[in-house]
Amino acid sequence: MKDTKETIVKFENISMQFPGVLANDDVSLEIKKGEIFALVGENGAGKSTLMNILYGLHTPTAGNVYVKGQKIEKFKPMGAIEKGVGMVHQHFMLVPSFTVAQNIVLSREPKKMKFLYDLKKANSQVRELSEDYGLKVDPEAVVGEISVGLQQRVEILKTLYRGADVLILDEPTAVLTPQETDELFKVIRRIVEEKDMTVIIITHKLYEVMAISDRVGVMRQGKLIGVEETKNVNERILASMMVGREVLFDKIEKTGEPGNVLIEADNLFVADNRGLMAVNGVSLKVRAGEILGVAAIEGNGQSELVEALTGMRSVKQGQIYICGQEASGRDPGEIRKMGLAHIPEDRISTGVAMPSSITDNMIIGKERRSEFSVKGIHLKRSSVARYARELFDKFDLRGAGVDTEVGSLSGGNMQKVVVAREFSLDTPVLIVAQPTRGVDVGAMEFIHKQIIEKRNHGCAILLVSADLDEVMRLSDRIITMYEGRITGEFKAQEIDKRDIGYYMTGSRTAGGGEEGA
Amino acid sequence: MEHIFDVFNIGLLQNTLRTATPVILAAMGGLMTEQAGIMNIGMDGMILIGAFVAVAFSFACASASIGVLIAVLCGILIGLFFALFVVKLKSDEFIIGMALNTFAGGLTVFLLRSIFGVKGTFSNSGIVALPKVHLDFLDSIPVIGPLLNDNSIFVYITWILVFLAWLFLYRTPCGFWLRAAGEHPESLETAGINPDKMKLMASVLCGIFCGFAGAHLSLGYLTMFTEGMSNSRGFIAFACVIFGMANPPKVFLAALLFGFLDALGLRLQSVGVPSDLTSTVPYIATVLMLVYVVVSTDRKKKKKTKQQLVEASERA
Amino acid sequence: MHKITQSIKQNKTYLISLIISITAALIIGGILMDVTGFNPFESYGAMLRGAFGSARVFGNTLTKMITLCLTGLAMTVCAKAGLFNVGGEGQLFLGGLAATMTGVYLQGASPLIAVPLAFLSAIVAGGLYAWIPAVLKVKLKVSEVITTIMLNSVAIYVCTYLVNSSGPLATHDKGVLGGSDAVPEAFRFAQLIPKSNLSTAIFYSAVIAFLCWYIMQKTSIGLEMKVTGENERFAFFAGLPKDKLMIWSMVASGAICGLVGMFEVYGYQIRFQDSISNEFYYDGMLVAMIMNYNPVGIIIMSFFFAVIDIGASAMEFSTGVSGEISEIIFAVIIFLMAAEKGISKAITKKNLQRKVKKTMGKEVQ
Repeated sequence: MKDTKETIVKFENISMQFPGVLANDDVSLEIKKGEIFALVGENGAGKSTLMNILYGLHTPTAGNVYVKGQKIEKFKPMGAIEKGVGMVHQHFMLVPSFTVAQNIVLSREPKKMKFLYDLKKANSQVRELSEDYGLKVDPEAVVGEISVGLQQRVEILKTLYRGADVLILDEPTAVLTPQETDELFKVIRRIVEEKDMTVIIITHKLYEVMAISDRVGVMRQGKLIGVEETKNVNERILASMMVGREVLFDKIEKTGEPGNVLIEADNLFVADNRGLMAVNGVSLKVRAGEILGVAAIEGNGQSELVEALTGMRSVKQGQIYICGQEASGRDPGEIRKMGLAHIPEDRISTGVAMPSSITDNMIIGKERRSEFSVKGIHLKRSSVARYARELFDKFDLRGAGVDTEVGSLSGGNMQKVVVAREFSLDTPVLIVAQPTRGVDVGAMEFIHKQIIEKRNHGCAILLVSADLDEVMRLSDRIITMYEGRITGEFKAQEIDKRDIGYYMTGSRTAGGGEEGA
Repeated sequence: MEHIFDVFNIGLLQNTLRTATPVILAAMGGLMTEQAGIMNIGMDGMILIGAFVAVAFSFACASASIGVLIAVLCGILIGLFFALFVVKLKSDEFIIGMALNTFAGGLTVFLLRSIFGVKGTFSNSGIVALPKVHLDFLDSIPVIGPLLNDNSIFVYITWILVFLAWLFLYRTPCGFWLRAAGEHPESLETAGINPDKMKLMASVLCGIFCGFAGAHLSLGYLTMFTEGMSNSRGFIAFACVIFGMANPPKVFLAALLFGFLDALGLRLQSVGVPSDLTSTVPYIATVLMLVYVVVSTDRKKKKKTKQQLVEASERA
Repeated sequence: MHKITQSIKQNKTYLISLIISITAALIIGGILMDVTGFNPFESYGAMLRGAFGSARVFGNTLTKMITLCLTGLAMTVCAKAGLFNVGGEGQLFLGGLAATMTGVYLQGASPLIAVPLAFLSAIVAGGLYAWIPAVLKVKLKVSEVITTIMLNSVAIYVCTYLVNSSGPLATHDKGVLGGSDAVPEAFRFAQLIPKSNLSTAIFYSAVIAFLCWYIMQKTSIGLEMKVTGENERFAFFAGLPKDKLMIWSMVASGAICGLVGMFEVYGYQIRFQDSISNEFYYDGMLVAMIMNYNPVGIIIMSFFFAVIDIGASAMEFSTGVSGEISEIIFAVIIFLMAAEKGISKAITKKNLQRKVKKTMGKEVQ
């Protein structure tokens, strides 16, 4: 690494406020020309927002951005592209029905006869470009029909076609296989060395940071916590910077002995939305009075596992038993009747009806009980209101009152509505996914206490979380998942965070030691 | 047996062309908005206003071309108006489309009454119709000659417009942008082009096409204006757009099919088959086609998963 | 009383913009009259007289209101559960025809048997016809908006075929052009005001409206419907029978439309004709949309629209202003309300940004 490098991108006191969320909080950062800079942080730490600002997709609420010494006045993608900034988004920005070449040249199409699109020239230009950078693609293939790895290559070529020399990659490996990841890293190194490009890579996989970057910046809750030379840090240091809340909590007392098996999955196969297999033969058991934590990096099948267990996603093969009853092939309503409650990983899309009041959101699932409706039909509004107020107080919801629209609540309060509804169902089985994602520390502590209390009362709890500290703090047993398979199983006291990390990234499996990293 | 020749003759094809033309024009407009990701059910109103304006100005200026020109200008204005709500103010496109139909229905009749003092129909020898085209050399060719000759000039212009619509959408950069705005607006935005501008353009183009459709209806197909004369052609055009998957040649064929069934219905009536029943065929076909598309994509996905399951069990 | 003031307070901005929109639309209508050489005050006066001037015309206004209100509620019932029934017109046709033919075939039977059967046939015909697009939507995710539009045309064509000149259900009565046989007099609804269209249908309608309001606002099923409409995935997650809710709400919507068709015939049209409805459903749909699917609001707005609609035809008769001005006024109200929603969204967004900037500014200092 050369030392005297000029600054190519400069963020100055950037703040970004979205309704209800301060996504960036006074961030100042300089990126040097010709380096590979990694930006790490948990989900919702504000990494993507910061980069979207650089790419002109958001206008920051406060602060300035400079590219190559010029201040950005108007935040528009076109302006960023003209300044040589290119971005590969986490969700690919490709038109599925267009060909590879048509996607790459989009908005800068070669023309003939002044206004006609020169499709042939587009193909040949793309072919040349792909050979020049050693990124092989078929210009005439339809994008919707090629693999994710190739789609990403198309995205990179798209930025190169536009003459980008600053390349932002947002979670580029989230959707790639290990082989594709290796390939991508080779490409990144090559374009940095040969073409003198600058690469900013957003990720939450720490070993990747160590493998590819020159410098690393850590973000947490919208703030930039620190910037270090990669050679001066290790994964452990980065992890504690990322999470940084270990010391905050008191111990929560766990009591009681595990009882009968209440959640059981046997050789489960589940497909994702694209029809690709996301869960590959998972078997697990959770007993009464026990919390089983699932530690996995996003996109390794844990979401699909939860959805299959709760009936929201169909099972392709294998069995599920909830409280001893066969649950595979049942819908969520039937499984809930077997004795299951569920906190979904995404409360906004799944956990609440945003336009409805807190009361209505809390009563759903119980509205046909005789306490709340006459013969399951006529709603007893007064008892419903009384009950909602009770839960409102018990779960320490703050704010206007039970008639408030849930959509207007903060993340923490909204999550408390979900927790209140689900936990008050008093079921023997709880499936809890990302219970404290995007939730303030106070609410998090509260929710943790509720979970432990449930456990102490004899609930069987399956906990899935991207927050490793949360998993370690709450679980009795922990399993790690990688690419839809279970890679290890541990008693919570017997393993430390760092070791778990190896299993979560598939570099170790329970069967046989370390694979080559 | 003779009946078959009574029904299936050149007259049938001629009628097909005649009845299909206004639908084709409107459908070309509808496919622009559809491609740009706007569900446009306001075409009926757009056609109606075009038809009225064309007649009014043809009568007032004693010129069919001025009538057409003003109808198209009006179409641009309506397209802008539609875009103002749907694109700029993000109103529900469905509500605006319905309201536009109601508005057009009310306005044309109101103006008909207020300006021309008539109710129902305005027909006057002062309205200049669009010219019919007769090419002598076609006379010598059997079947094609009588089929292609003596049509309103708009029949031919329509064919050119279908080609231009295809050329625009599939062979110009702007057409690609418009399609990208409908299919995946984020990718267009990140490529530096505002998808809203493309949507605006699509709705203006739709206005223009519907203006043409209206003008043809009142100056080419007939030479008068009748209350509600669009007669649900906007909805038929919408069905064609869906049926033809918003692809100009396919939509063109779909519209011809609708026109054919319409013409066939009239003919069949002469041999005792009710035209009302034949008219239902295209609508039922559209519904069946939608179902078919869904079912077949679903089947493909399931196949993919099954394959993987087999692979997984082989690995294990 | 307290409840009413509270709900007015909650929807204050909405009500204000509604009043402004209506006023503006009426002014625009007035300007149109003025430009075309009519005195707007006189014309509006004639409109009011046309709607309220006598018991007879007031009866007609109320009849119109029933139609608007029921069709609006039909739209509301399914929209609450997240489905858009654009096919009410077709369901209205089929329901009307089914009820009419039931009456015709049961000629001579006791009205106590025939009339309930007519109700039933209208409900079944309208409901079944709405069931098709509902199932296609729920099971196959085929857009119900498109399928209902298509099925509308199919139903209207088929009904037209059945009752017109050579159709199998056409009447042989002399001097009647098109249409089915007349419903036997014993089965028809009693007229409440002589020579007016108003019949006992208004009582049946009140019952239906009450049921709609009751189910949507006061029952657990209504709550489940609302939640399903707001977030289908949430409903699925919470274990609600969302498919059933969606399908049944659509069927209910179709059944109401079918009943509207029946009321048209049994109330005053006597026989089924292809002119049974002049896009009544679309007007009702627009009323429902303007009122944000609020049942009470729909009833009030239906009355307002009915006054303008019925008043406008009388106005045309007495002053010469085209009655179609009513359609223009409707449309303008909708445009203004739609614009207001967009504008107020933009304003709240800007306000939020401004607020944030202010607080951020303070923090920096």
